[in-house]
Amino acid sequence: MKLSKESILGLIALGTFLLLALIAPGFLSSNNITSMMFQLPEFGLIALAMMVVIVTGGIDLSITYIAALSGVGAALMLTNGYGMLPAIIVAILFALACGAFNGFVISKIGVSPILVTLGTMVLFEGIILAITKGNSISGFSDGYSLIGNGYYLGLVPLSIVIFVLFAIITAILLSKTSWGRSVYMYGSNETATLFSGVKNSRVLMKVYLYASLLAAISAIIMTSRYNSVKVDLGSSYLLQSVAAAVLGGTNIHGGYGKVIGTVYAVMIFQFIRNGLNLLGFHSSLVDVVIGAILILVLAMNFFSDKFKKAAETRKAEKAA
Amino acid sequence: MKELLKQKEISILAIILLIGAVLSFVSPVFLTIGNFLDIIEGNVVLGILAIGMTLIIITSDIDVSVAAVTTAVAVSIGYLFTYLPDSWISVLLLFLIAPVIGLVMGLVNGLLVSIIEIPAIVVTLGTLNIIAGIVLYITNGNYINSTSFPKSFMEFANYELLGIPILIYLLAIVAIGTWYILKHTLIGRSVLAIGGNTQSSVRVGIDYKKVKLFVFAYMGVLAGIAAIAQTAYTKAVDPNGMLGLELTVIAAVVLGGANIHGGRGSVHGTLLGVLLLAIMQNGMILARIDTYWQNVVTGAIIVIAVSYDHISYKRSQDKLAKIEVEA
Repeated sequence: MKLSKESILGLIALGTFLLLALIAPGFLSSNNITSMMFQLPEFGLIALAMMVVIVTGGIDLSITYIAALSGVGAALMLTNGYGMLPAIIVAILFALACGAFNGFVISKIGVSPILVTLGTMVLFEGIILAITKGNSISGFSDGYSLIGNGYYLGLVPLSIVIFVLFAIITAILLSKTSWGRSVYMYGSNETATLFSGVKNSRVLMKVYLYASLLAAISAIIMTSRYNSVKVDLGSSYLLQSVAAAVLGGTNIHGGYGKVIGTVYAVMIFQFIRNGLNLLGFHSSLVDVVIGAILILVLAMNFFSDKFKKAAETRKAEKAA
Repeated sequence: MKELLKQKEISILAIILLIGAVLSFVSPVFLTIGNFLDIIEGNVVLGILAIGMTLIIITSDIDVSVAAVTTAVAVSIGYLFTYLPDSWISVLLLFLIAPVIGLVMGLVNGLLVSIIEIPAIVVTLGTLNIIAGIVLYITNGNYINSTSFPKSFMEFANYELLGIPILIYLLAIVAIGTWYILKHTLIGRSVLAIGGNTQSSVRVGIDYKKVKLFVFAYMGVLAGIAAIAQTAYTKAVDPNGMLGLELTVIAAVVLGGANIHGGRGSVHGTLLGVLLLAIMQNGMILARIDTYWQNVVTGAIIVIAVSYDHISYKRSQDKLAKIEVEA
């Protein structure tokens, strides 16, 4: 029986869940499960955004500041007496504007994504600081706070429903549409993709727009859950989202990556963070464990590839 | 002369001079020796780390764990101070111990990149998490302040030779040493060769794994030295003080003309990149630009600089292509 990379990761996620259920007291309590479900979507959406960008062989270091800026957009609308819908629209527009700027410099001018987003990261952070003067904006309407704190049908947190919805949309977009196929093609071979008649720049532009849209959704959930927004909204998710995408099997050089893998990786992170907390570990040790897992999984990939190759050559030698 | 003007470093120098000229009109303080020494001394740590990062970026890799490694070494120094006797020997000893601690961490990165073949950004992301987590766990985020530092170290930190702070000499030594390695040693030439064309250089007989291991180990050593400089400059150890510095380091190297895809980069270019960032920061304070707008200006300059660089690079490539067709 052969398992794909993603199903192995799924089994690891299941394994961590079962292990923590056994050793961490209160891990399986309904309270704890719902609190995990409330925490997962905001990080999950950013990780998905990062994954889509990494599939093209790029990286978006400005993603969390795009999220923070769009959160600021929503907060400004809400505190100035506008309703929920205009606030959400403004949040999305702010993010799309940032994404369009990244996309323009990367796809039209052709600068490498890591440099552009390194610059725009500082730029967007600066814009947020200039708007907020470093203060937090808080005090939103009750209706808005339902997005991050409410339940769907009184059972499942609304935010996780939004996350699942966007995960499915992302999966369909990547695997069923021509844009999605071009994203994978671009990631594995830029030149060949261009010569096979794909408008590379348009594909890339849409990638950065889509990533910023996901960041905006994450920002809406975050601002609603915390009931406030500050310049560092979600900034701790930046490198973690890269880690989640890579742990989820996405090739950092582009060309491969699946939504379900990233979702499993996000779940593993969430289980570990929550479980270690329950076990009374210092919160900074969670980072240590996540870093170690990232390196271990990739090292295991390397060795299993090596064993496979060795086995294949042995077989070939026998046949000869 | 034309050759000289074509060099990338010259265009960065031109930008620096332009900004400098504007600033000297805006503020009379800018063009004083005191201000210049302040600017340089304040950016010694950034400079040392950026020089190490240059080597890694030349081989088309990246190291996002530098700030964490430097912090870890600085914290170790802070704890060591309680055991070291108060004499100049401890300062010398420090210059042996700190680079070795850095070297060990650099070697871990290097081994994972070269032997296990995990992409460098992923490896260093992992070690960043691990090292930063351990540091925070041990220190609990608390400061170690200068009361526990030996007097001899404080004397070293405040020492000035010919009116120039000692840390600036440290940066100069690191810069000249690295320049020499890149220019005149086998391993240094191999670094440039690997970055220029990996396949060809391996066929010529350059040991790819050895070179990768070298650049990460060297980065570790420099992080160790940077940790001493940081401790001497701030006269305290702050476990959170260098959060996110790795991205500034990368920005400085890239502004200095190193190509993120490898093969191009120089020590003097990187130093100019550091100087550009430093003068911008200093200038914005002197020009009384609202602190909240400073990041906007810095970010915009980074984006414009990398875009301009890429456009001019593309133009020169287009010219090359034309010549080939004509021939």
